[in-house]
Amino acid sequence: MSQDPAAAVQQTSTAAPIERQALRTLFAIDENARVLAFAQTFTGRLVLVALFAAVLAIVKDAAWPQVLMITGAAAACAYLPKYRAPILFGATVALLIGKPTFWFVTKNISDVMRQEQITRLSERTATFAALLVFFLCAWGTLEFARRRNASFLARKPVVALLCAVTLMLALACSPLLHGISRVALWSLLIVFTSYLWFLAYALVDQRSRDRSPHLFQLGVFHPFWGSTSTPFGKGAAFLRKMQAKNPQELAVTQLKALKLLVWSWLLLQLETLLVGLMEGRLHLPRIALVQAAFFEHHPYPLFIGWASLVWATGAAALSLAIWGHQIVALARLAGFRLPRNTWRPLESRTLVDFWNRYYYYFKELLVQFFFLPTFLRMFRNHPRLRVFFATFMAAGVGNAVYHFIRDIGLAASMGLWGAIESYTSYLFYCTVLATGIAISQARANAGFKPSPKLIGRVWSFFCVWAFVVCLHVFGDESRAHGLGERLSFMASLFGVNEWTTTPR
Amino acid sequence: MDNNAKVTLRAFLTQTLEAHGDRKGFADTDSLFVSGRLDSLSMMTLIVHLEEAFGIDFAQVDFDVDLIDSVNDIASFVDDRLAR
Repeated sequence: MSQDPAAAVQQTSTAAPIERQALRTLFAIDENARVLAFAQTFTGRLVLVALFAAVLAIVKDAAWPQVLMITGAAAACAYLPKYRAPILFGATVALLIGKPTFWFVTKNISDVMRQEQITRLSERTATFAALLVFFLCAWGTLEFARRRNASFLARKPVVALLCAVTLMLALACSPLLHGISRVALWSLLIVFTSYLWFLAYALVDQRSRDRSPHLFQLGVFHPFWGSTSTPFGKGAAFLRKMQAKNPQELAVTQLKALKLLVWSWLLLQLETLLVGLMEGRLHLPRIALVQAAFFEHHPYPLFIGWASLVWATGAAALSLAIWGHQIVALARLAGFRLPRNTWRPLESRTLVDFWNRYYYYFKELLVQFFFLPTFLRMFRNHPRLRVFFATFMAAGVGNAVYHFIRDIGLAASMGLWGAIESYTSYLFYCTVLATGIAISQARANAGFKPSPKLIGRVWSFFCVWAFVVCLHVFGDESRAHGLGERLSFMASLFGVNEWTTTPR
Repeated sequence: MDNNAKVTLRAFLTQTLEAHGDRKGFADTDSLFVSGRLDSLSMMTLIVHLEEAFGIDFAQVDFDVDLIDSVNDIASFVDDRLAR
């Protein structure tokens, strides 16, 4: 039986979109009317939350009591909107108290206690005391900003908070304090800085007419759904706008939450597979090992160095997507329609596009607290300089300030100068990244658009990721190697400045 | 904001959304920034557009994204600034 070749081609080309559409419909459970109706019933909600808890237990490899507590809190938040503020605050505090270690503070506080030879006080007690003092101060600060909205604190919250950090740091690093008073100040400073950007968002909200109550504001300080020093879901103001407004919207949001969590699990499987392949089968050394070997004058061959660097960059991106999706999924289960933290970074066509897709909540923080204040006030008559400078303030200065403050505990263990000196590599990273993004932004403003053709897409992918991979050498946040060492390692990857040693 | 200005604004926003691959259309009350349909880069271009079209000095504004989140928000904001 003969077939017209043109018709065959047409048949094949129409079959593919139909298959894609069918696949899309299969996964679009949040658009399926029957599923949506079921997700709004009591049984449907029970099934949805139970499924979410089961997947979360697998993805996080966490104990069931913790999973049930987090999922239960999220469900309560979603289904009891009248009590959302106390539930949020209660769950966040319960998780804080129930955690065996406060990952973001205890190690640094115990370092200071060791330096001061304080043994009669446990690090847990010091942390609890600092947390209690911080929360009381935060409540007082919010109340002050609400009552006096013309005060400096209310008008320029970030500047005021950064001034407070600087003063506390100067005092903590001075020889004036010893013993328990030094431990107390460092404990408070370390806790304060880990909540800094949460407090900044809350202070900004105090000037809104429909601001949230303090209990809600404090409930989203390192909320139970997870965060880093970057608030996922920004502050109460954003969460207020993003909460599901009716049962239908809530069902869609929670189904999207489940989908995102499953996607996170799939990415986790991919990560396990790739780690097994790269590090197990191919015996590709980790980048830290490649760098250590280079500094010991026994460098790996060039292709191993490059392969390790590319793998390290890819693994970091994959890891960010996995845990970012888990946090956003939990917040969605609680009824907040949050955008993803990472959104298809491999499809980035330009650097500024990559910046938007890679780590959304960090970018938003820098835009709100560094980019916009600069852009709205500086160089208004010089459009190009205005964009360039504002972008530089966000991706460069803001980025550097954020990371230095995040790791402020290092100033206690390494000394202030040591912490600054070991930070030069990251400063270089921020400078180059900011320049790259600013140029990309300026090009976008001038109307530059990457070619939509396949070759253009491949070229865009190559340019963006080559930049990101090269910069990864300096963006590694460990303070193990200085700028000079990292520069010579980078140069060695291009065959320059190789030490006259025998390669492995 | 008069009708002509609103039409120009809608055309500007349509073009910006299309540049993001978003051709869904939008009502005057639809959220554009908070909903995530437009990003901070688009906010910047919108601010420049409002500065040029209406002579608004954003340095004097206690800025919040809510002020320019939808067509109606932008219209109210512009009217409010021009009335000062």
